[in-house]
Amino acid sequence: MLKMEHLTKHYKGSNKGVTDLSLHIAPGDIYAFIGHNGAGKTTTLKCVAGIQGYDAGTIQIGGEDMGKNPLACKRQFAYIPDNPDLCEYLTGIQYLNFIADIFGVGAREREERIKKYGEAFEITTSLGDLISTYSHGMKQKLAILSALVHQPKLMILDEPFVGLDPKAAVILKDIMRSICEGGGAIFFSTHVLDVAEKLCNKVAIIKDGTLIASGDMEEIVKQGQSLESIFMEVVEHVDTN
Amino acid sequence: MLTQIKILTKLELCNLYGLNVLRFSKDKKMKRKAIGLLAVWLLVLAVLACYVGGLSYGLIYLGLEETVPAYLITVSGVLIFFFGILKAGGAIFRKEGYDILCALPLPAGAAALSRLFKMYVEDLLMTLAVLLPGIVVYAWNIRPDAGFYLAGAIGVWSIPLIPMAASVFIGTLITGISSRMRHKSLIGAGLSILAALGIMYGSSRLAATGGDIDPEMLKNMSVFIMALLKRLYPPAVWLGTAIVRGDLLGAVACACLSLAVFAAVAAGVACFFRKISQSLYGNFAKHNYKMGELKENSLLSSLCKREFRRYFSSSIYVTNTIIGPIMGCILSGALLFTGTDTLKELLPLPIDMEGMIPFVTAGVFCMMTTTATSISMEGKNWWILKSLPLSAKNILDGKILMNLLLILPFYALSELLLIFALKPGAGELLWLILIPAEIILFSCVYGITVNLHFPVLEWESEVRVVKQSASAMIGGMGGFILALLCAVIVGIVPKEYTDYLKTGICVVVLAATAVLYRINSRFDLCGRI
Repeated sequence: MLKMEHLTKHYKGSNKGVTDLSLHIAPGDIYAFIGHNGAGKTTTLKCVAGIQGYDAGTIQIGGEDMGKNPLACKRQFAYIPDNPDLCEYLTGIQYLNFIADIFGVGAREREERIKKYGEAFEITTSLGDLISTYSHGMKQKLAILSALVHQPKLMILDEPFVGLDPKAAVILKDIMRSICEGGGAIFFSTHVLDVAEKLCNKVAIIKDGTLIASGDMEEIVKQGQSLESIFMEVVEHVDTN
Repeated sequence: MLTQIKILTKLELCNLYGLNVLRFSKDKKMKRKAIGLLAVWLLVLAVLACYVGGLSYGLIYLGLEETVPAYLITVSGVLIFFFGILKAGGAIFRKEGYDILCALPLPAGAAALSRLFKMYVEDLLMTLAVLLPGIVVYAWNIRPDAGFYLAGAIGVWSIPLIPMAASVFIGTLITGISSRMRHKSLIGAGLSILAALGIMYGSSRLAATGGDIDPEMLKNMSVFIMALLKRLYPPAVWLGTAIVRGDLLGAVACACLSLAVFAAVAAGVACFFRKISQSLYGNFAKHNYKMGELKENSLLSSLCKREFRRYFSSSIYVTNTIIGPIMGCILSGALLFTGTDTLKELLPLPIDMEGMIPFVTAGVFCMMTTTATSISMEGKNWWILKSLPLSAKNILDGKILMNLLLILPFYALSELLLIFALKPGAGELLWLILIPAEIILFSCVYGITVNLHFPVLEWESEVRVVKQSASAMIGGMGGFILALLCAVIVGIVPKEYTDYLKTGICVVVLAATAVLYRINSRFDLCGRI
């Protein structure tokens, strides 16, 4: 579903970014991407989402190359950033309609999906209001709704649980699982290691722009240890070396 | 309170014209662009200096040297006042940072005052840009004594105060009224435009040489000009006279008066700042939406609708870009009533006035295009378009189409009025319709080209994009300058060659538009912005 090979992105005049990052995300994967602040998680996700270019390497989504055919790649995924800066001058429903128009979602399908997920996240009654009146959590819910309205094969999420109320977080986890059961994939960054451990079948750990561990959650998290302790162990091991 | 205002003002001024970002940014590309922009600014300042210097020299040459300071003060005052009305509301009551400021242990008006001081510094710089070249020419030719410089030094800092106070008063009043309405931005924009047009009309009436001017005055041009300036803006004459005469007491009195007016308005703004802000950013959420039937739109239509909604959500964006089309219609309407003969009487120049009208119309329409700032206006929402399966062509087409559709009704009305006014033959009719249409199209495409190369996506206030960005300056007025240049060329060339010249201009403009459009459509939005 998503193949990153030797992805390298450095910001000019800074030593920050990601170096030689390779990851394979298969259909059915819920892939957690963890690392400390400034490790390069958002940079990686932005490169994958086609929001920023990269210096070297390749990104393939559903067999399409992001560098050569970005539109074919973008048709297959939905991206939600860590801070959902949505168009505040639109109402919720106008924003959802805009996204649905871009992805060519039919009127009936969009109606059904908005109704289904809007009720699940309890924001249907607010869809007629301007986004500028929404709280952070509501904006996050709307961003998730806009991703689900076109049923993407791949969801790229940057800290998706930040700002969500507990009920919405549970619903989102259920939706993530159902997408993967249907052959889709999820690639998301998080600082909540407990959620990552329980929800994901795969995990990647990034430190200072370099991938230091990746693979099946079961393989990485050894018996009797939590992802948290493994994370600390791996990061400290890299620091010592 | 003074310490707190000082700290906040320092914070406001720290990133004046984006200097702080530039200072600490490690992006070499950004720095190169900033140097390019600085060169453009220097060029503009040089042109302004030549214009002001030339004007001052002209007045001195005619023996009207004592009118120079008053004239320059009036010009800077009018500029500050007019542009101030269009930006005051957005600059003082900007949303960014408001919540954080409110949570800090600061007096309610401190934030308002710090924003006012930032405006003052910007206006003072504008005043100096207008005043200095003229004063240098004056000083070089007249060799005034020390009193002139002393009175000037006392008075110069007070020049922006009254026009700024007046514009802030009107801007605050408009923001205060519109903040209580549901469609704040639209109402704010409408009121600002009405105020600007009303002031333009009022000042033209004031400056008009009506029958009430004493014919004896005309014998002495100096007295006549001073009387005219006095009608337009009396404090300019008071301060100008004090400076010319080296009257220190007069200069101090003028400065004190200006300060008093400014202090009164500033106190009023500080007093109402929180109330207006709260009402401006208050929630109008109804939470009563019920799912109804949804409709599909084509890609272009959806993008264009979104552009319109963005446009009408910002009063400063609307007021700064709609003035041109409105002025175009007003001028066409005026021509319908006055006729070209009156125009020829008013401007008795040996040029083809009627041949220039299509270009002048186009120029007025293109005074500021929306496309020139449309990418910058995306700001923090830019990621949305970049992450969606949209090509650069899709995104830019939506922005260009929105600009064209916005101008279309004004263009149609203006053309209709011009046809009635000029009663052109078939050939003239073709030029009358074709030339403005082509230049408008060019200016929309050119505007977006410039914005692609000079985007400002990190901004605190829309004022930074609409009024202070490189794109607004270079891109927004591209069509206007092109139309003006073409008008001058057509006006100078003998009438028998103008048809060939117009054909050439149309072909070149169309070709340039097509080339720019093609280049823009292939722009790497993700890699370069």
